[in-house]
Amino acid sequence: MKQWMQFHHYAIQVTLRRLLQAPSSFLTNVAVIALALVLPLMGASILISVQPVAQHVSADPSITIFMKPDASLAVSESLAKSIQESKDPLILDVRLVNKSQAAQALRSNEAWRQALEALPNNPLPHAITVTLAADDAVSRTAELLATEWRQKEGVQFVQLDSLWVQRLEALLRLVRIVLTLVTLIIALVVLAAVFNTVRMQALSQRDEIAVARLVGATESFVRRPFLYQGGLTCGLGAAIAVGLTALALNPLNTAISDLSKTYDTLFALHLPSGVALIVYLIAAIALGCFSARWSVTRHTRF
Amino acid sequence: MNKLAWYWLMIEFQHVFKSYASGSAILEDVSFRVGVGEFLFVAGPSGAGKSTLLKLITGLEPADRGIIQVNGQRLDRLTARARPYLRRAVGVILQDTHLLQDRNALQNVMLPLAVTGQPNDVARSRARAALQKVGLGGKETALPVTLSGGEQQRLAIARAIVNRPALLIADEPTANLDKDTAKRVMDVFKDFNQVGVTTLVATHDEDLMAQYADRVFVIEPGRFRDFPVNKTP
Repeated sequence: MKQWMQFHHYAIQVTLRRLLQAPSSFLTNVAVIALALVLPLMGASILISVQPVAQHVSADPSITIFMKPDASLAVSESLAKSIQESKDPLILDVRLVNKSQAAQALRSNEAWRQALEALPNNPLPHAITVTLAADDAVSRTAELLATEWRQKEGVQFVQLDSLWVQRLEALLRLVRIVLTLVTLIIALVVLAAVFNTVRMQALSQRDEIAVARLVGATESFVRRPFLYQGGLTCGLGAAIAVGLTALALNPLNTAISDLSKTYDTLFALHLPSGVALIVYLIAAIALGCFSARWSVTRHTRF
Repeated sequence: MNKLAWYWLMIEFQHVFKSYASGSAILEDVSFRVGVGEFLFVAGPSGAGKSTLLKLITGLEPADRGIIQVNGQRLDRLTARARPYLRRAVGVILQDTHLLQDRNALQNVMLPLAVTGQPNDVARSRARAALQKVGLGGKETALPVTLSGGEQQRLAIARAIVNRPALLIADEPTANLDKDTAKRVMDVFKDFNQVGVTTLVATHDEDLMAQYADRVFVIEPGRFRDFPVNKTP
């Protein structure tokens, strides 16, 4: 154990000495890797922040039928009942919201209460909300149902609700795939950057490697400082990328916060959780070590 | 010759052949035995194969045919993983000293100890003792570039002996040195040989051979001759 620690202590010393011999080259590499790693982290931050919005809104599509203002409650109830009794397997639930209940619900919001009080009578119509089963053809079926219901007596307007949530979910799925591809491409870029840096370093340390082998160094002993170099470069790059992403989210959040206030809601972009960031750092270090090992194994065969 | 030599073999060549990549033969059917504690010279004209013989012994190059045993291990059966452990038992001094120019004398000598995982304080004190032994006490912090040719050669010797090798191999260690410095370097080898370290030195210098040799291998193109105690050609 003591000998193992001694080997690592020596490797760290050698790594630091090599890095200090060419600090600008090392810092440039770290900066390039940090900038490359910002992209997937930023994407992940946006994805993680937006995902709950889609999850908290019911993903089941629904249709709302707004009755004419002069349509009676009886006509509305009759329509709701006929829809209920149609036994269409796509229809999950039918709910009648009478205009008094709707006005009552709106009055719980101060702004709406004032607006409603300013009006001489209740401007809201009776409404019927029909919840549909989500399936691949729901968009087309909902459109057909809406067309049919528009013809019914007393119907003013038929609105397709919640389909946007499905579209958002589909969009998020697409973003997730794009992000995975971008992450893979960035990983390849980082791999190539570390591979090339270690190759240059290995060639410049040719004499030292030859002497170390001459005096009985194992291949692990020769490789170890390069692994530290790769791991350190990527680890530091990833840590800086986290900092840069946090900095970039700050002005974005100020703008988003102003926008979301107008919708009477609070929404902000945030970094992935602490555990996810630790995994991200470890993955970056592992990528650096892997790339360095590959490079040093290929370029020290002399 | 050391009495132990006939009982414990340090090097054995059995019908060894080695050619250049071009196909021309360097060593043809060479067989010899070197016992523990012997002091040998390898002589011959430039390009005859002295360095190749030393590289075969250290395992830096493989033989085309034949069997080579060093310190009880057959080199052709040695795995890549086991090879470094054999090299730790063999101290090698090359004509070009291969010193690390960005490290001082002490750090250069500490390298073989770092390779074996010696704690820093132990490595430091053993490296100091090795420098003392070759007459470089007080030069610990000097960079190789600030040392004279003879001092650099002695620094390379200190690095080769710090791991207490059983076999010391030197390729033209006095080639670029004046007579006095060459003699001092050879005295260092003789000192190690006297405590049982088998020593092989490749050289052109006939005066040194006459003065120090117990046995001389002469390599000439297509020919290998083994001259026993004090019978130089």
